[in-house]
Amino acid sequence: MVPFEFAYYRPQSIAEAVAMFIELEQKGKRPLYYGGGTEIITLSRLGLVSTAAVIDMKAIPECRVLDADSDPLVLGAALSLTELVEANPFPLLTKAAKEVADRTARNQITLGGNLCGQIFYRETALALLVAEADIVIAGPNGVRQSRINDLFHQHLQLSRGEFVVQIKVRRFAVELPHFHHKRRKQGEIGYPLVTIAALKKDETIHAAFSGVCPFPFRSAKVEAHLNDRRRPATERIQAAVNAFPRPILHDIEGSADYRLFVAAQLLEDALRELGETI
Amino acid sequence: MAVGKSIIRKEAWDKVTGRAKYTNDFKEQGMLHAKLVTSPYAHARIISIETHEALAAPGVRAVLTGKGLPLTGEDMRDRPPIAADKVRYYGEVVAVVVADTLVQAEQAARLIRIVYEPLPAVGSPREALKEGAPLLHEELDRYERNKTTYPEPGTNIAHRTKIRKGDIKQGFAESDVIIETSVSFAPSDHVAMETRCATAEIWPDGSIHISASSQSPFMIKRLIHTYFGEEAGKIVVHTPLVGGAYGGKAPVQLELLAYLATKAVGGRKVSVWNNRECDMVTSPVHIGLEATVKIGATKDGVFKAMEIVFLFDGGAYSDKAIDVSRAAAVDCTGPYHVEHVWCDSLCVYTNRPYATPFRSFGHCEQSFAVERAIDELAKVLQLDPWDVRRKNAIRPGHTTPTQVRLTKSNVGDMPACLDRLRELMRWDEWQRIELDAYTVRAKGISGGWKTSTIDTDSSSGVILTFNSDGSVNVISGVVEIGTGTKTVLAQIVAERLKMNVDDVHVKMDIDTQTTPEHWKTVASRGTFMAGRAALAAANDAIRQLKEIAACVLRVTPDDLEVGFGRVFLRDDPAIFIPVKDIAYGYKFPNGNAIGGQVIGRGHYILRRLTPLDPETGAGKPGPEWGVCAEGVEVEFNRRDYTYRIVKAYAVIDAGKVLNPKAALGQAMGAMSMGLSFASREGFLFDEAQRVLNPQLRTYRPIHFGEHPTYIVEFIETPQIDAPYGARGIGEHGLLGMPAALANALSLAAGVPLNELPLVPELIWRKQKGDSYGSL
Repeated sequence: MVPFEFAYYRPQSIAEAVAMFIELEQKGKRPLYYGGGTEIITLSRLGLVSTAAVIDMKAIPECRVLDADSDPLVLGAALSLTELVEANPFPLLTKAAKEVADRTARNQITLGGNLCGQIFYRETALALLVAEADIVIAGPNGVRQSRINDLFHQHLQLSRGEFVVQIKVRRFAVELPHFHHKRRKQGEIGYPLVTIAALKKDETIHAAFSGVCPFPFRSAKVEAHLNDRRRPATERIQAAVNAFPRPILHDIEGSADYRLFVAAQLLEDALRELGETI
Repeated sequence: MAVGKSIIRKEAWDKVTGRAKYTNDFKEQGMLHAKLVTSPYAHARIISIETHEALAAPGVRAVLTGKGLPLTGEDMRDRPPIAADKVRYYGEVVAVVVADTLVQAEQAARLIRIVYEPLPAVGSPREALKEGAPLLHEELDRYERNKTTYPEPGTNIAHRTKIRKGDIKQGFAESDVIIETSVSFAPSDHVAMETRCATAEIWPDGSIHISASSQSPFMIKRLIHTYFGEEAGKIVVHTPLVGGAYGGKAPVQLELLAYLATKAVGGRKVSVWNNRECDMVTSPVHIGLEATVKIGATKDGVFKAMEIVFLFDGGAYSDKAIDVSRAAAVDCTGPYHVEHVWCDSLCVYTNRPYATPFRSFGHCEQSFAVERAIDELAKVLQLDPWDVRRKNAIRPGHTTPTQVRLTKSNVGDMPACLDRLRELMRWDEWQRIELDAYTVRAKGISGGWKTSTIDTDSSSGVILTFNSDGSVNVISGVVEIGTGTKTVLAQIVAERLKMNVDDVHVKMDIDTQTTPEHWKTVASRGTFMAGRAALAAANDAIRQLKEIAACVLRVTPDDLEVGFGRVFLRDDPAIFIPVKDIAYGYKFPNGNAIGGQVIGRGHYILRRLTPLDPETGAGKPGPEWGVCAEGVEVEFNRRDYTYRIVKAYAVIDAGKVLNPKAALGQAMGAMSMGLSFASREGFLFDEAQRVLNPQLRTYRPIHFGEHPTYIVEFIETPQIDAPYGARGIGEHGLLGMPAALANALSLAAGVPLNELPLVPELIWRKQKGDSYGSL
């Protein structure tokens, strides 16, 4: 049970949402933008989230766009992961989305919510980081668009009152050869030990990781090692793993050394699948 | 007529349409709500509890603390219902806030200030037994206990069961080879869909009305009488459908809090409902175990001796854990004949959530230890693990570890189960094959057996009443916990009365004032005990019907038969009277009446059971031993250590299958629980013994899509004194699963895997030669 009272708002436009946020913020309501609500509800129960107002994004038309035929393709932040999986506009993103939580939760969880969540795996970000997608942000200073790679450092760097409206993925990126794998402690449901999303663009491998560290990342250093074709694949992989940011997660899902073991194997799978000589 | 058919369970429509109601679905205007305040420490002295601010919060009616409450516990009274001077496990109840709404109760709960002084926490049983380990219960010598509980004051041992059969020294001397295997696993959860819930109110006449999601409504009544001195006749316990129990709802816990809460608010109705986190750690958990098994055998693989030490992780309080540790000892060898047996089974206190039975009552735990050891023995002797089991399989004429002589009736056919398993699994074709460089398939097997170590005077009663159309109502104290037992009782009654099972109605709810007692809905004893009572009740009704019909038809009752809605002459069925015309007495055409309403009455009490001898364990703990042989086939990846359970097999001696689909469901459900427990469940503790995964986010049982193919077959060796020969089958599917999985994976990976849960990281570590369990 959510142990506090809160007001629920459902704005119909970007401008209305931003205005509401500013007003509620001024009134000391500590408003939260609300996508599917899975995290707000479950963390509120545990006393880890508290707010007096939530602003539901799902009635804002721009946040609900799913334009799969345009270039770039446009994905609204309030699309549920199930909707994304079923429409499959971007196969790499579909693979990432399909492995988040379980089906019932995916019916609720939104793309924007997964990107901005407190629970730090944020696995849909991996596909967007390697595809170098653009992200449309709205906030008190209007609407802006950026490359996600410029904004995502461990988490999306948003200012107070800003929210994700849309993701735009350039068509060529959608069609690039790619790799996705999520390995868990056990079975097919749960948080990752390691999730890797990778693609190959102009002979360069892009790779992003979740589960390795307490934040998702794509690292230039790691990729430089992966793409260093002067060295044999095993050495490239070992160098890439050694270049992972720190700390390496060591928790109830798995120990740090086991995660690195799994990561190295998945990188080997990724290189093989992307046509590298192993 | 009805027995042996797959009758759809009587509550099926209510359940599949979502209309079935469980304890927490009965909301009432004006009902108050309780929030449990629980301990963030596993072991700490309570220095102070400040409740003023909470009491002043909106809607708050009362705040309860542990001061002055009697100690509770079924075998030994060591547990305050609310912690008083110290807390002994993470999640233990320290205070209860009662308010108008649950939100208000939760908000006020945050205002309670408790000062703790942390104490060193005791983790595993081995740690608890070490010299100088902190004591959980300094007053162990002063606790009230029953005659069959043997605590060892000055230690963390709540109870020790000793089994001494034959001469262990001689057994080992006669052995060509002796192997020793140790296994362990941490406590875990039952994960019933319905979290536990209890409500209580006291009416102006002083009667106490409790509703509870429980397997033991009659025990709740008895214990509230014992603990608090309330008049037994004034305590009424109501239990509607229960949404999964698995042993977790056998102990009495929230009911005591609901009773104390309603007393604190002048008898108003109070609901105590576990959220998932509390249900996982505050309420009792599935017991953990550390065990060592030493087997001595001839070079042909004939068992000569078994020396077994079970260290059960009873957690902070002994309650039902004592019983579980005893049950494992009683059947410590598994379904094998062993002449010389020595077993010490300890129920050990640790600073972990307190333990209670888990479906199989200590037996999947016992099997895991012994069946792993048997596979290791087979490996050393280079014998086929199936052959070793077959050679030693228990049979009529043998004696059990507690020296009960087995008969054709009181034990199932273990050799037949093993033989059928061998065929089903195509055991002889291969046991391990490498499909490619990394992929290995392997098979593992396990035997299993179980008797029910239950109170020697446990009983069950059934009442049958008739409706004006001649249909029957069955009233039994068995709680419908999802096993379909009430439907099976209807089948038994329909069979005996030779009538259509659709015309036999069952009362699903329990009300201890009007429902005859069934000791507890545990131990796979529902069909046996309540079934016997139902047969007795049917016979009683038949006798009454015949008496009335004899008058009407002017014949002797001996010449009459009851069936097909009639009472008729055996040699001339054309002479009859419909049951509906006499079930409420018979009225002659002139208005005179005879008979009166027919009420069938039946009961059953277990017979000739005895407590165990404290020094040797000799005694008769239960009425019969059900047996099974089970197997698992895995596909293991040697590169990344992941695996898939491909197939799971169970061959169970059911005595007689009364309802094939229901029996299959019970077996498969139990197998699924066993595989889930063995492959992925278990609490993780930090060094201070706090539970790190008390949530379904991080404690993940098996999900749809992760199931293997289940292959189940039944052998039918009747238990002569059971209804239509049926043996209990609610638990057997689980017995062999953990061991069979571990045996298959040990073979696949080429390294002994003796810990649970069997996650890939564990296998990786074992193969590297590391120890595991730091996390």
